[in-house]
Amino acid sequence: MHLLAVLFCALATLLSATTAVGYQLIDEQSYGFPIHNPFQATIAGSPVELQPQLIGNEQIKQKDYQLRLRPEREQSLPSNFWPVKTLHYRLAKQKKPAPLIFIIAGTGARYDSDKAEYLKKLFYGAGMHVVQISSPTSYDFMAAASHYATPGYSPLDAQELYYVMQTIARKHKNLPVTDWFLTGYSLGGLHAAFISEIDQQQQFFNFKRTLLLNPPVNLYTSVNNLDQMANVELPELYEGHDFYQDVFDKLARYFEKRGHFNFDQAILADFQNSPERFTDAEMAMLIGTMFRFTATDINFTTDLINRRGLIIPTGTRITDGTSLTPYFEIALLCDFSCYIREQLLPFWQNVFQAGELEDLIQQTSLYAVSEHLRTNKNISVMHNQDDFILGAGDLTFLEQVFQDRLILYPYGGHLGNLDYVKNADDILEFFHD
Amino acid sequence: MTKPVLIAFILSVSASLSPPLWAETLEDAGFKTPLKQLEFTPALEQYQFERSNFAALQVHDPLELVNRHLYHFNYKFDQYVFLPSVRAYRYVTPKPVRTGVSNFFSNLGQVPTSANSLLQGKFKRAMHSTARLLFNTILGVGGLWDPASKMGLVKVKEDFGQTLGVYGVPEGPYLVLPFLGPSNLRDTTGLVTDFFGDREVNLINYAEISRRNPELYGLQIIDMRYTTELRYGQLNSPFEYEKIRYIYTKARQLQINE
Repeated sequence: MHLLAVLFCALATLLSATTAVGYQLIDEQSYGFPIHNPFQATIAGSPVELQPQLIGNEQIKQKDYQLRLRPEREQSLPSNFWPVKTLHYRLAKQKKPAPLIFIIAGTGARYDSDKAEYLKKLFYGAGMHVVQISSPTSYDFMAAASHYATPGYSPLDAQELYYVMQTIARKHKNLPVTDWFLTGYSLGGLHAAFISEIDQQQQFFNFKRTLLLNPPVNLYTSVNNLDQMANVELPELYEGHDFYQDVFDKLARYFEKRGHFNFDQAILADFQNSPERFTDAEMAMLIGTMFRFTATDINFTTDLINRRGLIIPTGTRITDGTSLTPYFEIALLCDFSCYIREQLLPFWQNVFQAGELEDLIQQTSLYAVSEHLRTNKNISVMHNQDDFILGAGDLTFLEQVFQDRLILYPYGGHLGNLDYVKNADDILEFFHD
Repeated sequence: MTKPVLIAFILSVSASLSPPLWAETLEDAGFKTPLKQLEFTPALEQYQFERSNFAALQVHDPLELVNRHLYHFNYKFDQYVFLPSVRAYRYVTPKPVRTGVSNFFSNLGQVPTSANSLLQGKFKRAMHSTARLLFNTILGVGGLWDPASKMGLVKVKEDFGQTLGVYGVPEGPYLVLPFLGPSNLRDTTGLVTDFFGDREVNLINYAEISRRNPELYGLQIIDMRYTTELRYGQLNSPFEYEKIRYIYTKARQLQINE
């Protein structure tokens, strides 16, 4: 009796000991990802020789399909929006019964963006059916699938994604699916977390496993970081010279020495070893610029669809020949935080609740689903210690919520190590039975 | 006496059970604050991004109205005619044949490259290009395999538009050509010159044969589309026209300055 009590106590300590120790940290010494600069890693990705063996496109049975979800937009949207009046997605089918995985693309990215394509090859090679879906922040999703076309409020974005996923599943109901999996990278990871919670209530898919890849924790922190990166101080920039010209001059000098022009991944690594290499500030600016262009597209598209008149004066007639450059210039002036202030927040207050910015941030960030993430052992997250979309305290939050379901890598920046062989193994391992 | 031993035993088991992966408690899980080392411009003085982009949007494009219509025409043609043909071509032709066809046409493409390299005074490049052509024609039975690539001679493209650029001919207004896509006045002139120059050099009698078998042109065009990675819509932006215009202009400047 006495001994049993002791045993029980000891067992309890043992259990609490293993659950309390926390996340899985990949040790710096053994982790072989060679790029230790977070900005370069983000731009260049893994060196080709350290990428996993992927299946060739020729061996993938895949097709792009489209859904007519907003027939009213076919009339109401200008004709130059013709490519995005239906929602396109890509499905790769296996020949025999297999699990199906949904991939949700990142900020502003379409279903066929490089990262989604990479993940498709990885999962298809491991024997899964794969469906790739555009991000709700991508202009095709906004135009073809979203009711309000004002992305950024995660519960609503996830609901619309969920509807798209259900429609796709119904359309291919003869496809023999054994299990449902879900993943998303960057903002798509945040969406996946919200979708997982919706599905727990509605029980349509009953996802067997969900993996979040480098998601933002506090969405406002992430967009502020990215906004900031486009405003980085560039010391060498002298009067009358612009940033792109600087970048191109460097590239031109480099290629002149090299003797021929051919820009690919391998070249970038070589370039960073040359005297012309980009500084951290320049690389941050390049990354910030890419995200800023997404903000630009969102600003323009949401204003046009909702006819808010902030960028395009209401009543403007736009045809195939209309120059959009003047609107491009106006939309460029507004970054993500400006978009939230001027379009998302007023919209959310109108349609959802009369809250403050802080309430919106709370409800649209990972905090809003923390209970779901804490209690569901089939959801994991992978992140990097040097990912610049995170802020102070974000990793602590992930650690507390996910505990041993957080896999943390020492390097990689934002998704730069996604195509590194060790990460690829870990991703497949997670979905493996 | 037995109790502490037992507890020690269980604790040691628990220690050996937890894999070495478990992290020690690090401050904020070891977050490396990657943005801390950068300096940011204060909000009121931010202009680099805006200025750079406004500068980038200044491309001489007086025919924008027509160009935009042609851009949409090309995009639709690509979606509804070109790409379906490429898919059909992929479907009916086995891969080795497709690769052979691609190599064949890309060797023909070396003729203008050699001529233009010579015209630009890049003799070494011309030698390189010519050697490549010879290797491929002699060793690779009409260029059906691509031994030169395997021998490390990387493909280099030179065209007459580039030659004109090297001699200081300005690019002129931006043009979108039907079917072919982005160009400018100078490069269009170059394209026409290369096309006819191609006909003059009668390499393995191709010009002669293709005059009698016009379907070869069709094959050449399908192959061109097959080997071109560009897909309209891939930039995924309502401002794709502006972005392609800028990228095209800059890429050509880089090629000419190389």
